[in-house]
Amino acid sequence: MFDFTTVTQWIDNLLTSAMPTWAATLIECVLVALAVITLYAVFAIILIYMERKICAFFQCRLGPMRVGKWGSIQVVSDVLKMLTKEIIDMKNVDRLLHKMAPFLVIVASMLTFSCLPWNKGAGIIDFNVGIFFFLAAGSLGVVGILLAGWSSNNKYALIGAMRSGAQIISYEVSIGLTMLTMIILTGTMSFSEICQQQADYGWNIFRGHIPAVMAFIVYLIAGNAECNRGPFDMPEAESELTAGYHVEYSGMHFGFYYLAEYLNLFICAGMASTIFLGGWAPLHIYGLEAFNNIMDYIPGVVWMVGKTFFVVFLLMWIRWTFPRLRIDQLLSLEWKYLMPISLVILVMMALCVSLGLTL
Amino acid sequence: MSTNNYFSGLFGGIKSLTTGLGVTIKEFFTPKITEQYPENRKELKMFDRFRGRLVMPHNDQNEHKCIGCGLCQMACPNGSITVTSETYEAEDGKKKKRLAKYEYDLGCCMFCELCVTACPSKAIEFSTEFENAVFDRSKLVIQLNRPGSKVAEKKPVAKPATAAPTASATNNNPKTPAAV
Amino acid sequence: MITETFVFIILAAIVAIFSILSVTTKRIIRAATYLLFVLFGTAGLYFLLGYTFLGAVQIMVYAGGIVVLYIFAIMLTGKTASAGQKSLGMAKRAAALVASLIGAGLLMFAFISHKFVSLSLNAETTNESAAPIKEIGSKLLSSGEGGYLLPFEAVSVLLLACIIGGLIIARKR
Repeated sequence: MFDFTTVTQWIDNLLTSAMPTWAATLIECVLVALAVITLYAVFAIILIYMERKICAFFQCRLGPMRVGKWGSIQVVSDVLKMLTKEIIDMKNVDRLLHKMAPFLVIVASMLTFSCLPWNKGAGIIDFNVGIFFFLAAGSLGVVGILLAGWSSNNKYALIGAMRSGAQIISYEVSIGLTMLTMIILTGTMSFSEICQQQADYGWNIFRGHIPAVMAFIVYLIAGNAECNRGPFDMPEAESELTAGYHVEYSGMHFGFYYLAEYLNLFICAGMASTIFLGGWAPLHIYGLEAFNNIMDYIPGVVWMVGKTFFVVFLLMWIRWTFPRLRIDQLLSLEWKYLMPISLVILVMMALCVSLGLTL
Repeated sequence: MSTNNYFSGLFGGIKSLTTGLGVTIKEFFTPKITEQYPENRKELKMFDRFRGRLVMPHNDQNEHKCIGCGLCQMACPNGSITVTSETYEAEDGKKKKRLAKYEYDLGCCMFCELCVTACPSKAIEFSTEFENAVFDRSKLVIQLNRPGSKVAEKKPVAKPATAAPTASATNNNPKTPAAV
Repeated sequence: MITETFVFIILAAIVAIFSILSVTTKRIIRAATYLLFVLFGTAGLYFLLGYTFLGAVQIMVYAGGIVVLYIFAIMLTGKTASAGQKSLGMAKRAAALVASLIGAGLLMFAFISHKFVSLSLNAETTNESAAPIKEIGSKLLSSGEGGYLLPFEAVSVLLLACIIGGLIIARKR
């Protein structure tokens, strides 16, 4: 398996030989930041195109077809449109907070985005409490949403923000519990170690069999709710709240919310593929050496992105199948069903691990 | 309210959700029905029951089946049909009525098809043509019978070629008489 | 070394500036937001020291806490509180001055009298001796020497009491 640290080491050596350490560190930081921002934008464009196409296909339509072959540069032109639109200032709002809110959302999203392990040795943020940090950074987004809702001075925005706050705080419980389940299985919170383990011993979803599969499903549901998507898009319910918390935003400030929504989807899927489906670890079937060797030739980043897009497809499938839940149904789904189920899964997994029943 | 209810609700819910997912994934792989209209206008075929606009089919002897009774005009809720008939003296000396002018105002038609149902001789029908846009409202008033056309005889012994009434259906604009 | 000092200065400036802004602003939501940035700065300091667990806890707990603070600020204060308050009276000003002077004195006393162990920042960040997560976990649940089982359980009882209290307040009558 190709280890990406050789590349980073090479760059590091090159820079430190040419300049003092602090300058080298600074340049490396800038390089990493540029890489993150570029990846962020590229994935956002791919995801928006994918969403439009998949949504259309589920509804027996073709989706965008005119701009470029198969409508492939439709999203690029949408982005250009968004960039050139005016950002409208409003009266009687807290202007500072109003302008700050989208940045909070996008910062939280980027922090979690950089937690994803792209390849062996290509994780950007990777330390011993990786998953915990991921959860912590993810919970920042709700601050931005609440702030947006309040500072818009609009009752629809405020209601949307309050709903979003209730929803995200609730579903974080399930996400935390299912992640804890997988931490019990792996015994570590560091993303690189989790992936390394899965490369050595097989994907977690196979190692943890029944509880892991159940945890995966619960994680998908809760993750979908965490992204304010799918059947859980109460905060931006178009038909009743116009657009929820971002109703008063225009131009690129709205674009940030839009971007963060899609990237949160990607991050949620990426995390699912990291902790359940092996991250960059290739698919190995025990006993088939020839097959395993072929799988090893596919680079880890392809595995990671491929798995992530598979999970994204699952989430889009859910989104375009089910009707929207009412807010009380939404909360009772979490507190009466998902949370007890994830507690049961947690106990099951603990029993499996302590009795040595994992594969 | 019991634990039984809780679990039956849970599993029933899961079952119905998977049913829904099954339906949508089937839809995902079915051929798409979208018509990419301006690009495919050469091969675009409208479905048969589409009511584009009213036409009066003529056969290749330039004969239609309208007897000028005016029932369609009576049936029309919007008054978009005006049938003008004239009397003439037939060869056997009887005075007969025949169609002089059949005017149809596309602009106030609501495509209810009551006129077609009311017609006793099946002389009019809706074509599937849909490119009806014109630059002037007066162009929406169309004369359906072609100049010089006459009623087809009841007994089709002399004229066996009464088939293919739809062949000229799309081209009966009064400005451009059919060249079928 | 110089990088760490530089980052420390930035973080310290963030903490100091936003602390002052947080108490001087007249709008309650802004105060909460500035407080959030103060707490982020603190978390940044923990990360700088290599205490990643503590840093993540700081973000996790206080971001959630700020959300709750927002909700309180939105729901429990009227339009006047969010738009800015009138200036305080003379007596209140004097009381605030005295309280802050006493607080500052206590803090300075603790700060000066404490014996700081001199440790180079660089050594701290490079070696992973800064409390591995396994050790934290086992310490938290051990009843032996240096174990935190009793406080841990006491906190869980406290949370249970909170849950029951919440249920009683929210239940249908």
